[in-house]
Amino acid sequence: MKHWWKILGVLLVLYTLIIGMIVPLKPGIPEVSPSNGQTGTELTVMVRGYNTHYEKAKEIRAWLKMDQERSLIADKITVQSPTNLEATFTIPKNLPSDKKVVPLALIIDNEVDGASVLPSAVFITQKNIQKAMGEALWKNSPINSLNEYKGMAFPYRNILAETIRNTYFHVSLWFGMFLLLIGSVVYSFRYLWKFRVEDDLRSKSLTGVGVVFGLLGCATGAIWAKHTWGTYWTTDVKLNMAAVAMLIYLAYFVLRGSFQDETKKARIGAVYNIFAFAAMFPLLFVIPRLTDSLHPGNGGNPGLGGEDLDNTLRMIFYPSIIGWTLIGLWMANLLYRTDLLQYRLLEDDY
Amino acid sequence: MQIVQEILFLLQKELLLEWRQKYAIGGILLYVVSTVFIVFMATLVIAPPVWNILFWIIVLFASVNAVAKSFVQENSNRQLYYYTLANPLAIICSKIIYNIVLLFLLTILTYGAMTIVAENPVKDATIFWAALFLGSIGFSITFTFISAIASKADNSATLMAILSFPLVIPILGTLMKISRSALALEQDTSLNQDFMVLGAIDLILFGLVIILFPFLWKD
Repeated sequence: MKHWWKILGVLLVLYTLIIGMIVPLKPGIPEVSPSNGQTGTELTVMVRGYNTHYEKAKEIRAWLKMDQERSLIADKITVQSPTNLEATFTIPKNLPSDKKVVPLALIIDNEVDGASVLPSAVFITQKNIQKAMGEALWKNSPINSLNEYKGMAFPYRNILAETIRNTYFHVSLWFGMFLLLIGSVVYSFRYLWKFRVEDDLRSKSLTGVGVVFGLLGCATGAIWAKHTWGTYWTTDVKLNMAAVAMLIYLAYFVLRGSFQDETKKARIGAVYNIFAFAAMFPLLFVIPRLTDSLHPGNGGNPGLGGEDLDNTLRMIFYPSIIGWTLIGLWMANLLYRTDLLQYRLLEDDY
Repeated sequence: MQIVQEILFLLQKELLLEWRQKYAIGGILLYVVSTVFIVFMATLVIAPPVWNILFWIIVLFASVNAVAKSFVQENSNRQLYYYTLANPLAIICSKIIYNIVLLFLLTILTYGAMTIVAENPVKDATIFWAALFLGSIGFSITFTFISAIASKADNSATLMAILSFPLVIPILGTLMKISRSALALEQDTSLNQDFMVLGAIDLILFGLVIILFPFLWKD
């Protein structure tokens, strides 16, 4: 089987497309209204769920959580529809906090959907701040025996919601681009070492597909940004540095185009390619880490792993990187073969 | 030690050439002064944040223009003659060192001209001068190498711009960040880190130039 890697690439991309789109999201809470309340009142909040099955659940419990130790349980819960319920809490006269406004997280748990959390769901305004009184008044009901969601599902994240699936396209395409560009630099070095025209054509085709992947990564990123950050393009450092990296590589093709002589084109193209790769490295890996960025992985928090990527996401994410890279290699291979044929034809003319 | 001698000799040659063609360096100096004056006429009151941006933009464009000629100015026959005589490393090193000095003078001149037409907003002179010096080194390495590449092609002026501007953005961005804190526009807690990044970029680029230049001139 000579073509096993092409088949593997297609299978992995199909796997990404099908499983990545079919698997549902875990139940979550996108919205709570009203999102603010006063101390010393009975607070009834309307909870909107996502992918939830409130009517099927036998026992639904809800908490407002203040910190690791303190939480209030709901007195009454009325289910209105599979995705809507009303929860009533009694807010004490004083809260055990010396802040004017206290954010509380909402946790809803039932045996069908498992537990779901909305951080800072309700903001409670204190009429008068008396921390000691608040501690005395607080009726603590610890959160215990939470249920787990059964079955395969991607994590529900606020704001991200369904767009979390873009991880398999946006992030994987960037990884794929980077792997292809590394390959291209390796061939450029090989060209400068052996001066074989095949190496130069391979390097050129890998760069071409790498740039296409980069532009696709930019496009998927722009769509993602529109749905999460609100605009297609932001001043985010990583985004703009990536755009600059694309400019560097587009200039590579202009440079190649400005030479008539094939060997000169190949030699100078290889030299610039290596130089451009080295210049791109600080753009994508050093500078974004020094400044704040909206992207995960910058400004101190870990990029991949931690809570951003759970095991179900990983099951699709890693294969998708390999899949896109293999498809990219196949595309580069086709480009290389046409380029080589063209080169041979030109050579025959002389 | 032979390479040091060669570099020194080539530097001498560069200086002599510059001395004989005074109009070239005069043109660049006039370029800086007139750009600063246009900027002054356009904005009149230059606030420190704008001063910072304008200063580096003027330095960037003046540097590109100053360095662009380093490989174009001498005709190809004479270059061939140098290449048969001298080590390629000596040639690129002498050009880079010469351009560092030239660009440093250029930035000082820009700084002076900007100080005359606008006020001097620099609060921390040490940081600012360090930024000027490291900036000249980074610009010189990048632009000299790109001008060597561009000189091989026909439309070298366009190529010089499109190849060098994206490549120089990391250096320019770090420089602007450092000089923002030199102008006390922001409190920078990671100043050492910025200088290290700048130094590292300069070193990486210089290393690559040393490796790659011998392949460039082999025509």
